[in-house]
Amino acid sequence: MNAPLFVIYGALLLGLTGVAEYQGWSWNRINQQRVLPKSIRDNPGAYRSSYGGYSRYIGGK
Amino acid sequence: MPAVQAKSISCPNCGGPVALRGFAHTLSVVCPQCLTVLDASTPEVQILQTFQSKERVNPTIPLGSRGKIGDTQFEAIGFQVRQVSTGDDSYSWSEYLLFNPYKGFRYLTEYNGHWNFVHVETALPEQSRSAGKLAMRYGGKTYLAFDSMTANTAYVLGEFPWRVQVGESVACQDFVAPPLMLSSEASAGDITWSRAEYMRGSQVWQAFKLPGSPPPAYGIFANQPSPYAGSIGSSWRTWLWLNVALAGLVFLFMVISPGRSAFSDHYAYSQGVKSDSAFVTPTFQLDGRNANVELSVHTDLDNNWAYFNFALINDQTGQTFDFAREVSYYHDSDGSEGSRNNTVIVPSVPSGQYYLRVEPEMAAGSPYVRYELELRRNVPNYGFFAVAALLLLIPPVLTTFRKGSFEAARWRESDYAPAVSGGDD
Repeated sequence: MNAPLFVIYGALLLGLTGVAEYQGWSWNRINQQRVLPKSIRDNPGAYRSSYGGYSRYIGGK
Repeated sequence: MPAVQAKSISCPNCGGPVALRGFAHTLSVVCPQCLTVLDASTPEVQILQTFQSKERVNPTIPLGSRGKIGDTQFEAIGFQVRQVSTGDDSYSWSEYLLFNPYKGFRYLTEYNGHWNFVHVETALPEQSRSAGKLAMRYGGKTYLAFDSMTANTAYVLGEFPWRVQVGESVACQDFVAPPLMLSSEASAGDITWSRAEYMRGSQVWQAFKLPGSPPPAYGIFANQPSPYAGSIGSSWRTWLWLNVALAGLVFLFMVISPGRSAFSDHYAYSQGVKSDSAFVTPTFQLDGRNANVELSVHTDLDNNWAYFNFALINDQTGQTFDFAREVSYYHDSDGSEGSRNNTVIVPSVPSGQYYLRVEPEMAAGSPYVRYELELRRNVPNYGFFAVAALLLLIPPVLTTFRKGSFEAARWRESDYAPAVSGGDD
């Protein structure tokens, strides 16, 4: 890659990094649900999390 | 160069006309009709050699053609094919003798589409060594030894300033400093040194106004300039400046994204105390532009795990960011595994009044866990900078690798190729 192309590539990369930082992007998988009734605040157990019902091995070291 | 009428003689073998363009410099000339080599040094033209090859070779640059190389116009007056045989292998190249009445003789050589403009030198180079290799110093440059061979003249056409003969052989040695090459030719105790400069086929075609386009060059020639020469330093310099800019960006976001704490509290969870472990936190304010939110979980787990379902809920709009994190920490005499803490970054959260819904889970029979939740707004995500730094490395590393590959391919053809160990062949 010659120098001008590298400069363009680098500028785009830094620009994208800046946008990602400014917008607060993340690598993490987040499930965004748009609407939730206000009653959840009074009855948190009524909400079913997308990640609920967790089952894992019982073990470890 | 003014148009000069070529002198003409008759071939004593076939009687055909033979043009002389090199004036008094011409010592031998080849009859274009019968390919007899004639001695042109005396008015009584004598036959030097009557038989060459049954096959005629047509020079790519027709003899008599004129071309401008640099600021000098030359006329192609002689052509020879030189051949090298090494065991079962043999290869050949073409040499054109160029003449200008004021500048004298030059040569143009061609091998597999690679061209060189050659000037015979009068000064002698100095033998030296460079990077452990035999080398020659000439004109302030160091030329590395590339190869040596015995070349035989296989075919001649036109005229020459020496008594040319098919079958005559010379011992050649090449030293390279791309795009230049220094060559020696030794025969009968005489050594001639010449300096060649690499030319592209298109330059030769343009100089001699040859029809069509030049055939493509195959392989990498000894003194072919690397397309990556000079680009490595420039590439790494650009990389350095881009990294300075990246560091500036990191500093900028450390200033404008300080990661202010928006919420923090301590909790405890005991499995089986109550069937519904979900609860919500008090509301807290997330200010400013759309930005990320970092939630950290710090626990006192010991050889156990806990799983947390989280929902970050906007109190006004009901917009929910749903996520979960496992925290597990185990240890024994061999070491430890996992961590008591975990962190998640929620992307692009608009400003507003929020609360967290938390639902911890643990294995049945586990002791209780105490944990702290800390939520920070607008934190720098250093992972992006690390990825950008890695991606910035690709172009200079690629350029360095390609230059290395080009040079390796060049030196594979050399008698002085670096030794390769572990090969089967």
